[in-house]
Amino acid sequence: MSANMADETQKTDSRDVEEDPLQNPLSSGTDDEEDIIAVIRAPAKVSSTEGRPSAIMGSMKLEEEPDVKDLFITVDDFQKHVFTIDTYITYRVFTRTTRSAFDEPEYSVRRRYQDFLWLRQKLLETEETHIIPPLPEKHSMRMDRLSKDFTITRQAALHKFMQRISEHPVVSFNEYLKVFLTAKAWELTSHRKASSGIVSRIGSTIKTTTSALMLKNRSPEFTMMTEYINTFAEKMSSVDRISQRILKEQMDLGAEYESYGPTYRLWGNSEVELADTLGSLGDCLDKCAKSVKDMTLSIETNFLPAAKEYMLYSDAVKGTLRKRDYIQMEYELACEELTRKKNEREQVKISDQNYSLGAIMGKDPSDVKEAKSTKLESQIDKLQKQVDFLSDKSEVANADMKADMERWHRNKRKDVKEMFTGLAAGQVESYKQCLDAWEEVIEVLKSEKRHSDDVGNSLFQTSEPSVHAAGGGDSQLNGREEDEKE
Amino acid sequence: MADVTGDPSAPSYDSELLSDQQDTSGPTSIGDLARIAAKNRKPKLPHWTSLIDCQDGTLLEQVEICVTEQEKRTGAARTTSMGMKDVYTVYLVETRVKESGGQGLGEGHTSLWRRYSEFELLRNYLVVTYSYVIVPPLPEKRMTLMWQQMSTVDNFDADFIERRRVGLEGFLQRVGAHQTLCEDGIFHGFLQKEDSWKEAVHATGFQAKQDSRLKSLNASFRLKKPDRKFEDLKNYASELQGNITAVLKVRAKLVDRLYGIHKIHGNYGRVFSEWSGIEQEMGDGLQSAGHFMDAYKDYIDDYMNEEEQIADQLKEYIYFADALKSVCRKQEVLQYELEKAGDLLAAKTLQKEQVMGNAPSRSFSLRGMRSKIFGPESQESKDAQTKVLEEQIEECEQHLKQATQETEAFIESALVEVERFKKQRTTDLKEIFINYAILQIKISKRVSPFSFNKNV
Repeated sequence: MSANMADETQKTDSRDVEEDPLQNPLSSGTDDEEDIIAVIRAPAKVSSTEGRPSAIMGSMKLEEEPDVKDLFITVDDFQKHVFTIDTYITYRVFTRTTRSAFDEPEYSVRRRYQDFLWLRQKLLETEETHIIPPLPEKHSMRMDRLSKDFTITRQAALHKFMQRISEHPVVSFNEYLKVFLTAKAWELTSHRKASSGIVSRIGSTIKTTTSALMLKNRSPEFTMMTEYINTFAEKMSSVDRISQRILKEQMDLGAEYESYGPTYRLWGNSEVELADTLGSLGDCLDKCAKSVKDMTLSIETNFLPAAKEYMLYSDAVKGTLRKRDYIQMEYELACEELTRKKNEREQVKISDQNYSLGAIMGKDPSDVKEAKSTKLESQIDKLQKQVDFLSDKSEVANADMKADMERWHRNKRKDVKEMFTGLAAGQVESYKQCLDAWEEVIEVLKSEKRHSDDVGNSLFQTSEPSVHAAGGGDSQLNGREEDEKE
Repeated sequence: MADVTGDPSAPSYDSELLSDQQDTSGPTSIGDLARIAAKNRKPKLPHWTSLIDCQDGTLLEQVEICVTEQEKRTGAARTTSMGMKDVYTVYLVETRVKESGGQGLGEGHTSLWRRYSEFELLRNYLVVTYSYVIVPPLPEKRMTLMWQQMSTVDNFDADFIERRRVGLEGFLQRVGAHQTLCEDGIFHGFLQKEDSWKEAVHATGFQAKQDSRLKSLNASFRLKKPDRKFEDLKNYASELQGNITAVLKVRAKLVDRLYGIHKIHGNYGRVFSEWSGIEQEMGDGLQSAGHFMDAYKDYIDDYMNEEEQIADQLKEYIYFADALKSVCRKQEVLQYELEKAGDLLAAKTLQKEQVMGNAPSRSFSLRGMRSKIFGPESQESKDAQTKVLEEQIEECEQHLKQATQETEAFIESALVEVERFKKQRTTDLKEIFINYAILQIKISKRVSPFSFNKNV
């Protein structure tokens, strides 16, 4: 392993030995274990066209999994800014890091949504072979762009975005990220003005969409990935749709519950013997109403945004898969070209130039042959270089894709589990609150009943087996409760 | 809540709760859930006997009355003018004497078929005959008072018929539990005598009474001295109806939403199952999640059924309030008669005074005119008139006495009846609410397997 690392050290800038993460004690693997490899590589180099042997790095990652995260980014503290021509919201992006690429250990900058868009665009351009996490949507159909709820949701999504990036072993070292995290406002503006125009962006999209169709022999694992992500995106979109519908019904349900309690209380107004009973029922229903509203809110703020994010994430993955296809296609085209030229060379060698254009024009046939051969040779040379380069590039792309996909799957499992566990927990909590409210009211009802039955008994002299049964049923209810509580 | 009459076979809400919980003590597989759902989809709804407090010495203590089945019949003899057969539903009324001496109902077990109109006949008879009694109401003839959208109102819908059956049974049991009503011969006949029962009812001549009663109840009049108690009762009845209606309306909307939510969760089930196909580690978790969603979707059906029953019990009190109102109305009628009788007496007395010359006649009267034109009346004619008037006054006094007695007796019985009704209502409603709460608890507990998600 140290031999491999020695190869890479030539690319690094000066690094103190004590910062070598290998010296740090190993701990259980998390998603951040790639930092050990990342640290060794060139953190400041942006060019992705150099063939970084991530493949080797990928295999290293599996062997040791240290838990050293040295880049922490948070997004918080949104503020509204009102200017004469414009109103927008900025978010505080706070960075804490021990990486030597950064001059300071801490940075605090304010960025607006547009800046995030710019960052993502740059990352897409410069980290072609990696999956870049999605940003929250620009527009929202439901909520007002400047409303508090919308901003809170957006801020949480932006925070997630930065977190994912900071955990990526390669992308987190991107130069543009560093600029985003550290630059002053005017610096950022200069950078943004210098970025490539729209035309190239459109061009690249067109290129990547058509390449998938022209691919000859895509390795099956990438085909599987594409199929998987398509199905996954479908399912996520269904989940999102269903959840929206449920949310709407839940909100209506909460409203109905809110009007339910008062009807009982109003009734209690006309009653004498039943006034307390009806009052307690009204209170119980109010509690239920509250718990339903809480659950609805939790779905809105936690579950739905997470589902949305994964829909967008699927799109990001699809995009990267398409780019990988394109890179492979470029390589294959180059190979074809090379083979064609080589064939031409063979043809020329054995060809008879007596009837070539040059001979007709009076040149010596063997000279013509010579000239053609030489030209071909130089073309072949160039092509060979290109093929080698593209081969590397393709290999890198494939390896990156695989590594990123695996990481993506791991994150997805964790995130999806969190999503659904959160949803279930919310439901359980809500049902539990309702349950408690009803059990409380039932105690009140039963004790009142026993009391009034005692009163009634003196008049009617009937036994009340229902009371005893209720008592028995009660204890059995309680017994069941203990079983259910897990 | 055990059956008051001690019938062990009547399922109660508590035992349902227990038996369900027993099945779900282990990991709830889809098979278990299906079995529970099937079990709960009982054809027969539980008896209401738990609600009814038997008064001492009433029929229900000794006799068990059930309405057990329903059947569709075609009226063979009768056809409508269009030549179509008259189709109606009959209910099987079974009576079983538990202890001997069941007020002359003999021994053993009787069963006969009755249709809804016969129940109506019985009730009308009771209402007319015992006008001070708040006679228990019948379930609806047609599906009215539904606050949920019904695309078709089908009087032959199985659920509707089933709920009607329960209501009819409750009616008979309440009548059987009432001190006065349970002793009535026509009621006994309804339970036991299949043939010529209708004739017997008509023989009582109640039809005439019913007609006059209807007429008087619908007449509008003003009372000089309305009885405060009955005014209050009338207002209370109206408020009770309004309140119960409001509660039931919101309940129906609530259940609608809940229904929608549960059904939409069924879509989750489909998506999760499909999704589990493309996942590896998450596959199993997603599968079980999908199954849970499917079960969750079905929970709501049983719940709605059970809640409908409770809603029906509340609805009964809306009709009870109507019965209370008619008793109050009857009191008003009697009061009016009383006042009329009193007025008549006073008028006759005044007349007599006038004839006897003691009371000065008013500004213009026939007598005054006559005496002016024809001269004062002879003592003979005065005496004759006085005699007639005295007889009439005597009649009036008798009448008044009778009316007063009648009214007072009515009021006395009615007030006792009202007290009984109030107690019953309080007990019933508390019981209803307890059952409602139990149902809510049951449904909340059922959903706790949401913790399935820990598998994902």
